[in-house]
Amino acid sequence: MFIVQVGALLIALTYYANAQTSVVAVNTTIPGSEQSASGLRQLAAAVVPQSSVFHPSLRSQFSLNLLSAFPEDLEVSNYCVALLAIFGQRYSTYVNCLVSAARPVKVCQNCYGTYGNLMEIYKNISDQMGPGNVSCRDSLLRSDRLMLVFLLYSNLEDIWTASECNRCVSLRHHSLTNDTLYFMETLNQSLSCFEKYQKQGNHSELCTECKATYRGLNELYSRMEKNHTLCIDIEDSMNMTRILWSKDFNCSFPRAETVPVIAVSSFMLFLPIIFYLSSFLHSEQKKRKLIHPKRAKSNPSFINIQDKFS
Amino acid sequence: MANITKKVSWSSRGDESGGGERTPLLNGSEEVRYTRQVGLLSGEGGMFHIGRLSTVDLEEDMTSDESSQGHHVSMSSIDGVKVCVCVFQSLDYDNSENQLFLEEERRMSFLGFKCLEISRWVICGLIGFLTGLIACCIDIAVENLAGVKYYVVKQNIEKFTEVGGLSISLILWAVLNSAFVMVGAVIVAFFEPGAAGSGIPQIKCYLNGVKIPRVVRLKTLVVKVCGVICSVAGGLAVGKEGPMIHSGAVVAAGVSQGRSTSLKKDFKIFEYFRRDTEKRDFVSAGAAAGVSAAFGAPVGGVLFSLEEGASFWNQMLTWRIFFASMISTFTLNFFLSIYNNKPGDLSSPGLINFGRFESDSVAYNLYEIPLFIVMGAAGGLLGALFNILNYWLTIFRIRYVHRPCLQVMEAMLVAAVTATVSFAMIYFSNDCQPLGPDQSEDYPLQLFCADGEYNSMATAFFNTPERSVRSLFHNPPGSYNPLTLSLFTLTYFFLACWTYGLTVSAGVFIPSLLIGAAWGRLFGILLAAITPNGSVWAVPGKYALMGAAAQLGGIVRMTLSLTVIMVEATGNVTYGLPIMLVLLTAKIVGDYFVEGLYDIHIKLQSVPFLHLEAPATSHWLTAREVMGAPVTCFNRIEKVGTIVDVLSNTSTNHNGFPVIVPVLGKICGLILRSQLIVLLKHKVFVELARSRLTQRKLQLKDFRDAYPRFPPIQSIHVSQDERECMMDLTEFMNPTPYTVPQETSLPRVFKLFRALGLRHLVVVDSENRVVGLVTRKDLARYHLGKHGLEEMQLAQT
Repeated sequence: MFIVQVGALLIALTYYANAQTSVVAVNTTIPGSEQSASGLRQLAAAVVPQSSVFHPSLRSQFSLNLLSAFPEDLEVSNYCVALLAIFGQRYSTYVNCLVSAARPVKVCQNCYGTYGNLMEIYKNISDQMGPGNVSCRDSLLRSDRLMLVFLLYSNLEDIWTASECNRCVSLRHHSLTNDTLYFMETLNQSLSCFEKYQKQGNHSELCTECKATYRGLNELYSRMEKNHTLCIDIEDSMNMTRILWSKDFNCSFPRAETVPVIAVSSFMLFLPIIFYLSSFLHSEQKKRKLIHPKRAKSNPSFINIQDKFS
Repeated sequence: MANITKKVSWSSRGDESGGGERTPLLNGSEEVRYTRQVGLLSGEGGMFHIGRLSTVDLEEDMTSDESSQGHHVSMSSIDGVKVCVCVFQSLDYDNSENQLFLEEERRMSFLGFKCLEISRWVICGLIGFLTGLIACCIDIAVENLAGVKYYVVKQNIEKFTEVGGLSISLILWAVLNSAFVMVGAVIVAFFEPGAAGSGIPQIKCYLNGVKIPRVVRLKTLVVKVCGVICSVAGGLAVGKEGPMIHSGAVVAAGVSQGRSTSLKKDFKIFEYFRRDTEKRDFVSAGAAAGVSAAFGAPVGGVLFSLEEGASFWNQMLTWRIFFASMISTFTLNFFLSIYNNKPGDLSSPGLINFGRFESDSVAYNLYEIPLFIVMGAAGGLLGALFNILNYWLTIFRIRYVHRPCLQVMEAMLVAAVTATVSFAMIYFSNDCQPLGPDQSEDYPLQLFCADGEYNSMATAFFNTPERSVRSLFHNPPGSYNPLTLSLFTLTYFFLACWTYGLTVSAGVFIPSLLIGAAWGRLFGILLAAITPNGSVWAVPGKYALMGAAAQLGGIVRMTLSLTVIMVEATGNVTYGLPIMLVLLTAKIVGDYFVEGLYDIHIKLQSVPFLHLEAPATSHWLTAREVMGAPVTCFNRIEKVGTIVDVLSNTSTNHNGFPVIVPVLGKICGLILRSQLIVLLKHKVFVELARSRLTQRKLQLKDFRDAYPRFPPIQSIHVSQDERECMMDLTEFMNPTPYTVPQETSLPRVFKLFRALGLRHLVVVDSENRVVGLVTRKDLARYHLGKHGLEEMQLAQT
């Protein structure tokens, strides 16, 4: 008797829950478009027609058979499809830009604009309501396990974060920051100086002549490092310049003072030897008083001890 | 010149007598022969002493205890080697259940006992808190001082790299190091020599039941803390972890007493805990708190105390100690988080932070376990080498470098040489690595590297040792080239070995870890190079950790506690098995050659240390052969004059006196020197009690107030009349001392001492008459040597 009651209750509950899910996601109209089969089940739960007829259990059975075209309530809205198309376009523009700016790294200065566009469209997809209160967030971003759109975008976002481009680009992705521009300018000065003397083929002259500008560049760089205004572009160009300076032109400091260093070191190393020798020869050795404890003889008779004691 | 020849004759004598002392103890006659030998060998100065002191001895017949039954005293040059020293006294761990004690217990209510229990917990909490706070102060001070030093030197080096004159930077570095170390060494050498070294040997002895003089004083703590800051900031090859354990112990001993004798301030709290039993328990909590603060390893701390002081232990105490440990690491964590401007972020649990080993690349595989074991064996070998070298060095230091000013000079020289060697290494190193994005190097030195690169040798040398350890563990593969690492290992090994034992307060944990991490990383790099696809699994950081564990295990030979400390410090339980295997192998291999470093130093300080078990093959020795006899006994009602005479006899510094029934000679109790002194001070004489009925009755509180620094007998004035008075000891003596028959074997006596924490054990005959007294020193003298059982000499001072 009891079991039957519980069973009935359960059935009622399931039905009620189904009805609830349907109600939650009512307000999307989706015309026919191709959908992946994997997204089917979730879609079934999430997207429900505007028609106010509820027969949830029946619906899921039917929709499994309709593989060629989903009923209109399951489809993605036109608006969202349009957004998706724009997203794809901008995405490929940005990726193209990234690839072309990969070496030497110029991803921030060349691609901040395209990234800004991409971000804008993604924002549209994820946050904004379209005409007729249409939100594409659920249908485009999180309807399936793969979540391709999101995945694609987050990959690029990771690249953007890793390259620290935010530090070089103004907040709204309209332009490079003044710091960056100033750095580029200084860098160009150094490079042009290098170029000038490189033509003459004399590296030692280059080292002396360009030292001032190069050092100015280095100082600027370390200042920016402290302020956390470095992005990958600046770091890379600085690295290249440093390699030019140190390896190609061979302007880093030579190891010139080997003799004095060796002399001072060996003097220092010699001190302890003198110290230990002198303390060995002149210090008084510490001595100890030994005590020989009183012991009962190890093999005397019993009586002996007792006599001695009493 | 005459001076030198004298030295030579001395040392040769030392060798001869050394030979004599190593004669296996076969029977009494052997021993007698040796006594004569030393007598003959003693030089001019020695002869005089023999004559004078032995005449003193002949006068007094009945002497007892603390085993310094001086018969013949001779001068010898045997220093520290196989000698027991008499200045060390035992702790009175065994409670004296005299009538005063019973009375107090009767008076105390149920609530009183509850309060005691609660105050024990409060004290443990306080110990943890203060220890954590001290650790925090040390950390911050070291960080800032070293930061300033490295900043100055770095600026200087950068300046002179450009314009020339790097030898000036070298001198600057050496002078800065020496200056720091000089401060550290001066305070240790001149103010508190007890604060030298890591303090772990001393704490081990204390937990073992030996009262090392001045080891748990406030002054020692202050000197220790300042000293360790100076020596670490001074760039010596030392760490600040060992001293933390000592500091924790001192805090515990201080807090639990509720007063400071040095500051002459009595807070009138925790008076019940003013005796050795309670104090020792709290000291073990303090040591645990110290370990826990040093490594962020609360469980490791508890196990350290368990491992070192396991003879007297109970479950409730373990739980309290764990509480203290936890509080300690939490406090350190909390205050460091405030210091780092991240209040509430509790992620820096210890002084040394090994960093986190979490990513998949540091997982290990079954086939790596044999490699770990090989590393363990290597660690054991290197550890043994380290210990042997340090042993010789320490003997040399005891013999020739024992004056404070020489010790300070030595420390300064070591500091200067450390700086010099480091500088030379950095200067001549060609290993340049590109600067990382995360700036893991705090003071990157460019020197002659290309711009944007740093000198890889400098990350190892131009840094505080803790940071070097961390960069060896965590820097990505390829940050060090093999040549750099092998040079570093070699140099640092000898530097650390040379540094340990200087008169500065400093620990050996970090240098050991550093040496081990360096050769471990080297091992990992070579492994990756010689095996196909080795670069996938042979992550250098993992092998650096195992190498560090192996080296540390090979040097200090701790087992369980060290495993747990390492596991906790790395925060990775999966490394439990490999670390255990590594430490196990290191201990086995190392023990084959020589003891652990701490044991060596305990031995060199000639402390009567009782090991876990009596030496094997000692069952044939009986209490009769071990005990000191005859014994100075007191009658139940004894003349004051006799007591004063016995106590003030300088040649026999006995501490426990059996009390006997006058004519029969049967034992009826045991009284301690400290108790007698308090009695004499309060003039508890039978005659006085009769004449002045109103006199206040002596209570246990009077004994506690005098604890722990009982006045010497010389400071107590007893007039000629009073000498004739009588003293009734019945009320004050321990009426039920432990006794054993004469035939008890040495291991059995040993077990009693270890398990009960005894100080005196009376040996009686079948009639219950006192025939001898066994003390700690009588047991600690025996040890298993190369030629079977050997007996050590006793010495004063």
